[in-house]
Amino acid sequence: MSGARGIVAGVFGRSPLVAALLAALAAPASASAQSFLGFRALGVPIGAVDARTTALGNLGIGLARVEISATDPAASARLLWPTFGVTMQPSWGSFDMDEQSGTSRTNRLPLLGIGYPVRAGGVVTASLSGHLEQRWIARRQSTVTLNEVDVQVQDSYRNDGGTSVVRLGWAQRIGSVLALGVSGGTYLGRLDRVFDRQLDSLAVGGEVYSFREEYAWSYSGYLLSAGFNADPHPLIHLAGAAEWSGTLKEVPQDDAVGEGLYTIPLRLSAGATGRLSPRLAFNVSGIYQDWSTSDGFLAGVTSGRKWSFGGGVEWHVVEGETRSLPVRFGYRRIAPPFRFEAEDPVEAVWSVGVGLNLAEAEGFRFGWMDLSFERGDRWSAPLDERFWRATVSVGISRF
Amino acid sequence: MSERTATAPRAPGRRIPGQEPRLPGPRILAVALLAAAGACTEALPTVEREELVRSGFATEVILEYDEFASGARVYGGFGRTSDMGGGFVAHDFGSRTEAGGGRGEGLEASSLLRFGRYPRSAQVLDTTGTTVPDTALTFLFGRLLVRFDSLSSVHNDRPVDIVAHALTEPWDGRSASWDYAIDSIGHRVAWSAPGGGAVEEIGRASWDPETGDSIKIRVDSAWIAAWSDTTDAARGVRVSTVTPGVRLRVSAALLRLETRPSVNPDTTIQVPSTTENRTFIYAPVPRPPLKTLRVGGVPAWRTVMELDIPSILDRPDELCDVVGCPVEITADHVSFAALRFTTRSTARAFAPSDTLAVDLRSVLAPDILPKSPLGPSRTRAPGKLVPDAWFQPPAGEILEIPVTGLVRDLLRGETIDGDPVSNTIAVLAVFEPLSVEYMSFDGASSPSAPSLRIVLNFSLDGET
Repeated sequence: MSGARGIVAGVFGRSPLVAALLAALAAPASASAQSFLGFRALGVPIGAVDARTTALGNLGIGLARVEISATDPAASARLLWPTFGVTMQPSWGSFDMDEQSGTSRTNRLPLLGIGYPVRAGGVVTASLSGHLEQRWIARRQSTVTLNEVDVQVQDSYRNDGGTSVVRLGWAQRIGSVLALGVSGGTYLGRLDRVFDRQLDSLAVGGEVYSFREEYAWSYSGYLLSAGFNADPHPLIHLAGAAEWSGTLKEVPQDDAVGEGLYTIPLRLSAGATGRLSPRLAFNVSGIYQDWSTSDGFLAGVTSGRKWSFGGGVEWHVVEGETRSLPVRFGYRRIAPPFRFEAEDPVEAVWSVGVGLNLAEAEGFRFGWMDLSFERGDRWSAPLDERFWRATVSVGISRF
Repeated sequence: MSERTATAPRAPGRRIPGQEPRLPGPRILAVALLAAAGACTEALPTVEREELVRSGFATEVILEYDEFASGARVYGGFGRTSDMGGGFVAHDFGSRTEAGGGRGEGLEASSLLRFGRYPRSAQVLDTTGTTVPDTALTFLFGRLLVRFDSLSSVHNDRPVDIVAHALTEPWDGRSASWDYAIDSIGHRVAWSAPGGGAVEEIGRASWDPETGDSIKIRVDSAWIAAWSDTTDAARGVRVSTVTPGVRLRVSAALLRLETRPSVNPDTTIQVPSTTENRTFIYAPVPRPPLKTLRVGGVPAWRTVMELDIPSILDRPDELCDVVGCPVEITADHVSFAALRFTTRSTARAFAPSDTLAVDLRSVLAPDILPKSPLGPSRTRAPGKLVPDAWFQPPAGEILEIPVTGLVRDLLRGETIDGDPVSNTIAVLAVFEPLSVEYMSFDGASSPSAPSLRIVLNFSLDGET
């Protein structure tokens, strides 16, 4: 153990670059899903997973040797030391919608988590993760007749916000094979909508002010998760979880009107990792969530698709005693909950990644940085969105 | 030498037994940071699509005078004719006889000039061709140069006879008027005859607008000598016209002295005299309007009124049909607002003959009107321009003065900076005094009383 401690201290103590990264990530950043999907509902889901999970096409369940997870309650059960992880995710998107096209660019902080082992073999977990978000701008040009004069009007409607989840949990290992975990969480977040209308000042007569209305809603609600993981064989890791959510409340702020009450369906997830060789492993995972039965949404908004799945392989190209360098490949196909118009949406993502396990011993990572790059496509006619996304996760133990 | 430098270099890609593999962590981390930094500037996806935009509704409401204003009135007396610098000359301008009707009073106007001390020295070319100062000047005679603003003058495109008279009665350059040579507080002295009292003709000239914009009238040596006495309060020149039906705007008037220098007595030079006073007098003076509104003139007129913008509307029908009535109006709903005045044909003697500019300002201390200080201009420079043709019969044109910011402030109850806002406004000429011409508008009791045009905007679904 002392050796591992020294490695950790050595790696981070001598690396101002890592320290700078940690300092940068300490600043708050908005999680965002820049998509038009779900514009009549709550937006698109945020993948609250780290770069390793992303690269492996995993959906946040069933991945072996996971330190921090918001979606797998039992994942942190085998932590030995306090561990902190943070993930940053810049992305570059483009879209086609009928005859129109455009681009987007954003930076998100989808997951921030901590695991803190305590006595009796348990680990206290806490995380802040993205959930559902919508960020987009729509414009419209029209003409109104004022004083018998046709006046050009440009409307702009900006949506910016979404929900996040704060979770507090307990992961308990039971023997060397089984671990259980539970967590309770609450929804956080806020949605800002700005309607801005500009009239052609030349046609109106000068000194025209734009009409601007700003509305905001805050989100609240709670959710509970329970899960397990098991290693029935040294080469096999299994996990499953269920997440039950209370009603998601959308409460108007200030001058806004209209309280929203949305039922969030039960989320069942399971996954597995299999080790094919000392350096090669594969994983599969799936999620079942039936949004079609949810209440509170406009008719025809929720998707009828219920299943999401993904999988990938991890190959340790370099394997040292205290360091390793795995490369990862993955693919996942996700069923976003809300349609654009009438077609059920699908998101398909190919991913590749690399891990820098800067300090590890006995199968545990003490300091790491994972990178992944994704190419995704999300469609629900007539909307077709594509994105490149990079994910950077940094973790540290024994801090 | 450190242990690091003592280590032998190794071939790239070869692993030394017992040594941990060297991972390119810092490089990859740097790349990742650069990638993240590249995405730090966010750009939301933007699309033109009807169904994604909240519905908006725009409508226009015309508030009648009684719905938004009260106490419209006219104050006069701002500024003096002497503040204008130039002036007017007119003779029987705008009389009804001229218009073909019954007998009426036409405008009579004359410019009065008083010249200052003559120059005591001048730079002169002597007989050797050298420029030297000469302090022994001999003033032989003078030339009175008068320049007219041909665009804003009304002359019917015919030559106009201009006459210069010497004044013989003491007069005050700041307060002189058609009837009074001196008209200051507590001291009023009438001319012996209206329009300048007893005068003596100096000379005359004919101005043909087609050939130029100025005239010259010779002033003989006797008058030049008499005007050199700067203690004589009666010295001065009256410039007037004897051609009926004209109103000329004098843009400049000055006296040039034909001078014989002592250093070169075989030649003459011209030196300008300073002008001590320049004003104009006119008659008749317009009476305060009883039922109409007035802006401009000299001394200037201002129209003042109180605004009380309603915050609740129950019309028009198209608004009620969409958003329901009564509807509360806030500052944010007002995209545009303009005060509307209906022009009236002004008495021709004072009718605008060129574009005028109107300003609108808040009256900061209504209790001390008409002497209240005014706030900054609510119109953008150079003010709201008003064509002179709008005041010619049949008039009835709508003058809109944008007051969006003011109306929003009044609905908000304060300025956007949190300062108090006065609900009393003054409509005035952009400069006071600007011209003898003034603008007339229908008053509060008229069917064409001032109104307020407001463009309102609403968004129609406040719910998600």
